[in-house]
Amino acid sequence: MTTTTRAPTTTGQRKLVSMAWDPVTRIIGNLGIYTKIDFDNREVVECKSTSSIFRGYSVFLRGKDPRDAGFITSRICGICGDNHTTCSVYAQNMAYGIKMPPLAEWIYNLGEAAEYMFDHAIFQDNLVFVDFCEQMVRETNPGLLAKAQSTLAPNSHLHGKRTIADIMRAVNPFTGDIYREALEMSRLTREMFCLMEGRHVHPSTLYPGGTGTVATPQVFTDYLSRLLRFVDFAKKLVPLNDDLFDFFYDAMPGYEKVGDRRILLGCWGSFQNPDACDYRYETMSDWGRAMYVTPGIIVDGKLVTTDLVDINLGIRILLGSSYYDDWIGEEMFVTEDPLGNPVDPRHPWNQTTIPRPQKRDLENGNYSWVMSPRWYDKRTKDHLALDTGGGPLARLWATALAGIVHTPYVRSTGKSVQIHLPKTMSFGEMDLEWKIPRRANTLERDRARAYFIAYAAAMAFYFIDKALERVHQGDVKVFQEFKVPDEGIGCGFHEAVRGVLSHHLVIRDRKIANYHPYPPTPWNASPRDRFGTPGPYEDAVQGMPLFEENDQDNFKGIDIMRTVRSFDPCLPCGVHMYGGGRVIHRRHVPMFGGGHDVEE
Amino acid sequence: MLRNRTGNNHDKTKVIANVVVGKPDVKPSAPSHVPGVFQGNHPHAGERGKGIHEVDGAYAEGTARRSTGIRPKAHDVIDPRMPRLSPA
Repeated sequence: MTTTTRAPTTTGQRKLVSMAWDPVTRIIGNLGIYTKIDFDNREVVECKSTSSIFRGYSVFLRGKDPRDAGFITSRICGICGDNHTTCSVYAQNMAYGIKMPPLAEWIYNLGEAAEYMFDHAIFQDNLVFVDFCEQMVRETNPGLLAKAQSTLAPNSHLHGKRTIADIMRAVNPFTGDIYREALEMSRLTREMFCLMEGRHVHPSTLYPGGTGTVATPQVFTDYLSRLLRFVDFAKKLVPLNDDLFDFFYDAMPGYEKVGDRRILLGCWGSFQNPDACDYRYETMSDWGRAMYVTPGIIVDGKLVTTDLVDINLGIRILLGSSYYDDWIGEEMFVTEDPLGNPVDPRHPWNQTTIPRPQKRDLENGNYSWVMSPRWYDKRTKDHLALDTGGGPLARLWATALAGIVHTPYVRSTGKSVQIHLPKTMSFGEMDLEWKIPRRANTLERDRARAYFIAYAAAMAFYFIDKALERVHQGDVKVFQEFKVPDEGIGCGFHEAVRGVLSHHLVIRDRKIANYHPYPPTPWNASPRDRFGTPGPYEDAVQGMPLFEENDQDNFKGIDIMRTVRSFDPCLPCGVHMYGGGRVIHRRHVPMFGGGHDVEE
Repeated sequence: MLRNRTGNNHDKTKVIANVVVGKPDVKPSAPSHVPGVFQGNHPHAGERGKGIHEVDGAYAEGTARRSTGIRPKAHDVIDPRMPRLSPA
């Protein structure tokens, strides 16, 4: 992380020191965190999050063939490209009027489950845990490490680490055994993904109407054999996470306030149920609720809605601190949805991206390329700055409260989620239960990630059962033919690994007239909106206590970084732009059917 | 919203909102326009799959014709009650 310190300023009675981390490391994209810290009282007083990369896929998708949208939007991200493809396929299915064959849905679900397992495991064990490893704790909290040496790990019989310090050593980068095993596992989960979606991370076999994956018994059993090995690892991982995070609560009273913010969570749902899902907007409320991760919005711990139509109509894209001109007065593409509900001019269906590059002004002006997505709560007329809790926290919370998911492997109880994992190589059957925590803070976001790895693995067993059931009956249908309409609209709702993902599409003359992908990090990393409401990173960091033992001169900002990383930040979804129309590089690509000069 | 920067047809540079986007070099469908090559996205392309018989909207059966054009019936299931599994 890059840290810069500026001269202290005195505001009222408090002496504030400006500190910045720009760019924040161990994430993709360009995220800067600018804070003002009161070292005397060990508190962060103010925080602003910025991104210095223009986000404009919506600009160059216009005028393109809508069938290309899945392949283009996949390139938004080198981490969760497949989530974009999947979400784009969902949006296109709605626009073209497609109901995908059930076998194709199971293949999509299996591919996405593998992606959750892959991405969450590698992020948690190889990137998040660097902030919790022995080396880091020695540098930031030596007193805590001493305590960890003498604290026995309650679940040592499961993960084999005797003390908490042993756990911290096991996640030391490059030398710790859990760190290295997680890297090996990432290969396995990627293979699982490729069996279903052809290629990681830009799928080659997903397109509207279904998939090109040939549904053979072997492709599912190949997946299953890898899944069983991975679940063996997950059975160790979940109790290890519990031990580590519980220790932080016990050893540092008050640590629950780190990264704590009002409970404002959004989940757009994942894993379609082919028995219910026909991709029609008119029935979206029903098939949305039938998803195997329930969509929902949670405000102050209460589930406000599980209805995807409500969720869709409440989305507002606000400006306030972003480098864009307002698009009010530009063309409205969708004035009412297919059910006759009015659609707001600030809804993604009606957004026009008008960039206005300018100098960053953190004090009184604009400071980020990220806009401020908000959800309009019609009960209170508030524009809520929802966060995703890094993805898993919101997914588990919404699923737990809704009480809808009931499968042999995952059951929602209304206040918890029960996960059943079958027997594997080193362990017998294991039952895990994620209980709704009292707070949405740094440690709970991280803990939920470990549980969601188990959730995705458990659901994958179910999807394999259902897929093989069809294959054994002789079903081979994985694709449904369709025609692209002259005009149409569609929306796709999915969960990218780190949270909510929506794609909104408008087709005119068989071309894209408007297309807006909204991934999770624009929600989490959003700057202050026109009402002055801070974005979730800013909100979570502002006002949090500091537990780092270093003084101001040697300050690393570990508590701040743990908080920002607990959201699983990921900002590659910008577009790098060249100015002046300069040709950077020209090369020739020989293709069957003629050569094409390509400018890069 | 899509309009030429200079307003004439010779300059294919477009301005979308206030962003100048370059002239596209390649048509997305260029390779599929070679005569004799199937266009994957051609209407009814899915019907060309030999040996796949749609039973209803959600279910289709495959026969040995999917795998071979040489005496495919001889390679089919020997008992009609058996499922026809995909080749792998």
